[in-house]
Amino acid sequence: MCKILTVLAALASLSLTNCGYNAIQSEDEQIKANWSEVVNQYQRRADLVPNLVNSVKGFAQQEKDVLLGVTNARAKVGSIQATPEVLNDPAAFQKFQAAQGELSSALSRLLVVTENYPQLKSDALFKDLMSQLEGTENRITVARNRYIKAVQEYNVTVRSFPNNLTAMVFGYKEKPNFSVENEKEISTAPKVDFNPAPAPSK
Amino acid sequence: MTLRVWHVVLVAALFLAFAFPAIADVAVPQLTGRVVDRTGTLSSSDIAALSQKLSDFETRKGSQIAVLIVPTTDPEAIEQFSIRVAEAWKIGRKKVDDGAILVVAKNDRHLRIEVGYGLEGALTDVTSRRIIDEVITPKFREGDFAGGISAGVDRMMRVVDGEPLPVPSRSVKFTNLNDIGPLAPIVLFASLIVGGLFRSLLGRLLGSVATGSLVGILALLILGSPGIALIAGIVGFVLAFIADLSPASTGSSRGGSWSSGSSSGGWTSGSSSSDSGSFSGGGGSFGGGGASGSW
Repeated sequence: MCKILTVLAALASLSLTNCGYNAIQSEDEQIKANWSEVVNQYQRRADLVPNLVNSVKGFAQQEKDVLLGVTNARAKVGSIQATPEVLNDPAAFQKFQAAQGELSSALSRLLVVTENYPQLKSDALFKDLMSQLEGTENRITVARNRYIKAVQEYNVTVRSFPNNLTAMVFGYKEKPNFSVENEKEISTAPKVDFNPAPAPSK
Repeated sequence: MTLRVWHVVLVAALFLAFAFPAIADVAVPQLTGRVVDRTGTLSSSDIAALSQKLSDFETRKGSQIAVLIVPTTDPEAIEQFSIRVAEAWKIGRKKVDDGAILVVAKNDRHLRIEVGYGLEGALTDVTSRRIIDEVITPKFREGDFAGGISAGVDRMMRVVDGEPLPVPSRSVKFTNLNDIGPLAPIVLFASLIVGGLFRSLLGRLLGSVATGSLVGILALLILGSPGIALIAGIVGFVLAFIADLSPASTGSSRGGSWSSGSSSGGWTSGSSSSDSGSFSGGGGSFGGGGASGSW
């Protein structure tokens, strides 16, 4: 009797760990946690943008279109829901990523413009905002990298045998991952312009 | 002639391409102490004084601060390198995450204050940047690295002091019960197999005791936690006592009597690897907070 019980206990513990159900559960949770960190940091950036725009406005009023571009991109980001459900819908994920990428490039255009305003660059408030933005961008990078790693782990788990059977039974699919945001920009050679830019009339 | 020269060049180029496939990232240095200097910039007395200061701070406040100086972080940016260092060293207490690392890449002329989650409220990005710009880099420009680092660390400690953190505890750390999970099947099978072996050698009670203690010792060696080891040992004892997988009592042991010359691999237990001088991170986590600068 004891023998049978022992064998059964051994089998049960083995089957639980071996069909991958628990692994899928914990990795799925890990992804959710990492995702909320990503969203959290993106939100932090979105909150910074209005202050940044205002501080630039004070010194560089004539850069209307650049400022408008940032404001619009920021509005677009705000309109997209980034719930964990996004992770099960590659199209929604793509949309989220595209909006964030647009804000990134609008921000980098803004930073290029600020180079022309020495007074703005030495402004204490602007300096603080810039270091906050740098820190936030770095946190976004870290959060995204951790999300990417978690998704890789999960996707391998879900696709490998015998876990794929478990995943099929319970309906766990592969999750979308971040790709390079500016693929188009990278694939075209940069234009080098040797003409000095006209100095902005102050 | 020229063709041959080209040929040689091509072969050489190919050889080089294969010999050096890609520049690898700088490996994370070992955490040998609170101050790790891989450039020989600081004198040993500088390092001793800094370490003492940081160690006193940890005893008083509980928060860990470490300093790392490397020649370069190439090909990575300092931010990528320092987050890898932070993930490897795990400075700061677990769940409190009150660690910070000052990373200096001397030849790149870059430095960074990497801040753990728990200190992001005190050492904000702005504060970190001000410490870098106003305290550290002016001294670095004059070539006073020891003074810059010392002043920067002082300022960091002063900032962290203003942050309410849990009181540093001196209690023995019991490992989480979560850590038993992956061990359970191993304990089970080890107890069954070893138990069978010992029982056929020593009889039921003695064999079970031996199994329990062996499993316990193994758990202690693997996890380094007396609490978990005790539990695992008891489980091992009970399992070995109950389970009847190997025909122990009968004499049908396929002729091959257990040659009990199992050269015990010398379990030098008691190497509790906690030298008073060594320093290790407390398991704090980082998320890329902080600021970078250059001089």
